[in-house]
Amino acid sequence: MKNQQSDVSSRSQPDVKAKEDGPVTSSAPLLSVEHVKISYRLKNTLVQAVDDATFTVMPEEKVMLIGPSGCGKSTILKAVAGFIEPVSGRISFAGSTNITPGPDRAVVFQEFDQLFPWRTVLDNVVYPLRVTGRSKPEAMAQATTFIEMVGLGPARTRFPHQLSGGMKQRVAIARALALGPPMLLMDEPFGSLDAITRTRLQGDLNRLAERAKVALLFVTHSIDEALLLGHRVVVLQGAPSTVAAVVDVRDINGPDDPHYRSIRRSLEDLLGAPGEEEPDGGN
Amino acid sequence: MAVTSQELRPGADLGGTLTARQSWSRLPAWLRRVIILAVAVAVWELYVKAAHVSHLVFASPYAVARSFVSGWLDGQIAGATGVTLEALAIGMAIGIGSAIVFTVLATWTTVGQDALMMFTSMLNPLPSIAILPLAIIWFGLNEKALVFVVANAVVWPIAINVTTGFRTVNTTLLMVGKNLGLRGWRLVRDVLLPAALPYIISGVKVAWAFAWRTIIASELVFGTAGGSGGLGYFINKSQYFLNIPDVFAGLVTIAVIGIIVEVGFNMLERRTVIRWGMQATS
Repeated sequence: MKNQQSDVSSRSQPDVKAKEDGPVTSSAPLLSVEHVKISYRLKNTLVQAVDDATFTVMPEEKVMLIGPSGCGKSTILKAVAGFIEPVSGRISFAGSTNITPGPDRAVVFQEFDQLFPWRTVLDNVVYPLRVTGRSKPEAMAQATTFIEMVGLGPARTRFPHQLSGGMKQRVAIARALALGPPMLLMDEPFGSLDAITRTRLQGDLNRLAERAKVALLFVTHSIDEALLLGHRVVVLQGAPSTVAAVVDVRDINGPDDPHYRSIRRSLEDLLGAPGEEEPDGGN
Repeated sequence: MAVTSQELRPGADLGGTLTARQSWSRLPAWLRRVIILAVAVAVWELYVKAAHVSHLVFASPYAVARSFVSGWLDGQIAGATGVTLEALAIGMAIGIGSAIVFTVLATWTTVGQDALMMFTSMLNPLPSIAILPLAIIWFGLNEKALVFVVANAVVWPIAINVTTGFRTVNTTLLMVGKNLGLRGWRLVRDVLLPAALPYIISGVKVAWAFAWRTIIASELVFGTAGGSGGLGYFINKSQYFLNIPDVFAGLVTIAVIGIIVEVGFNMLERRTVIRWGMQATS
């Protein structure tokens, strides 16, 4: 299993059987990131965050970006979202290289305060739908469906400050999924949650993403989370970072899987740090 | 919302026998206030009766109430109040308008921010009433001078608060807005303004408090100089004619208006920032 690391972006693992619910392998990549280099300005110093990142995400494929704290994984996500422009390299999404922020790449952040505090749970989901052109009845129906789906029907008239952290993240996920985007960008959405809530939300996300037929680019620093949620894992190394490996993990079904331990160990080796890491500051 | 203030109130009865202190704190807050007010008025009335104070110096609550009612009925106080509130409204409108311009400049340009910071730290600590003499020279003994000092009292606290509000808006919320494709005015209206609302409200509250004190003080000065016709002027004129109950009636009017506006702000906050759990903690 250890040598499953291909160099870049090709998810060509001949020995890996694609699962039935896996991505459609024949189509072109939904997202492709090619030799992307990113620096950003932080208090008048130029921080070189990403040196060379290359990977692809196929439609409906779930790709995990993993790496140690401060390796620029969130930065890559922000570039894909259109919040940061790469210094060089190319990002193309759905055939377009003009990457500006847009709801076709709905973002779920780590921070609990990503909900509009002045809107109720329902309004937080309805508003983005209205902004993106849905009629009022359509938006209401859609929002209600997705709020029910994340199990927050009874809380729909509450304001965000009346929700727990886990509930807030559920609303954020419902809000993103309700938009029906081809791709969901998630920046350690469960990083600030307690272990029990995190496990439950990971299960929910697996179920929901499957149902919504959405591609996923998911930033995490937890190997277990990557193995649980991902089809493929993009491992970042160094600062400024490069892609160390892209590992196909879609045949790993959980901690009980016989390959789980070996693939986990190989990822640990790549990351150069055994076990879990402390949650970083979200960057 | 319906968290029982009953249970959280200090000194609430926890099941034992009622002491006097406990039964007092069990009364609703408004009733406690009414009782204290009634006692204070009674003491005041008794003092005036018992001490035989000259009515040229001090007025009994009864006389004040009579002046207050007749002043409002014959339109004297109502007219003065109208004049004061009109100048106040114009001054605040100009002040708020200028504050918006300064805020826009300070939010979008660094030079604007530096300039605003400097002017605010220079002019905000200066009681606006202190520039009245200059205002009189510039505008004359008329309403324009009043409007000018009120606008000056209003512009700095609002500009500094709203700018701080905009600059400290949660970046995650801004990214969420941009992610939805919001740009320009839409982003300002739907994300920036509501997110900065706690600062906006507290800025307007401070501005109102400054403006209200400034206009009454300015009118008192004007009263001596003989212009205007607002509440400050009314008090000054009544004092000149030794009509002490009218002086008190004017003061009561000023206090009542202050209380009404305060209650209005509290209601606004309860319906918005407190309801949304985003009131500023300063």
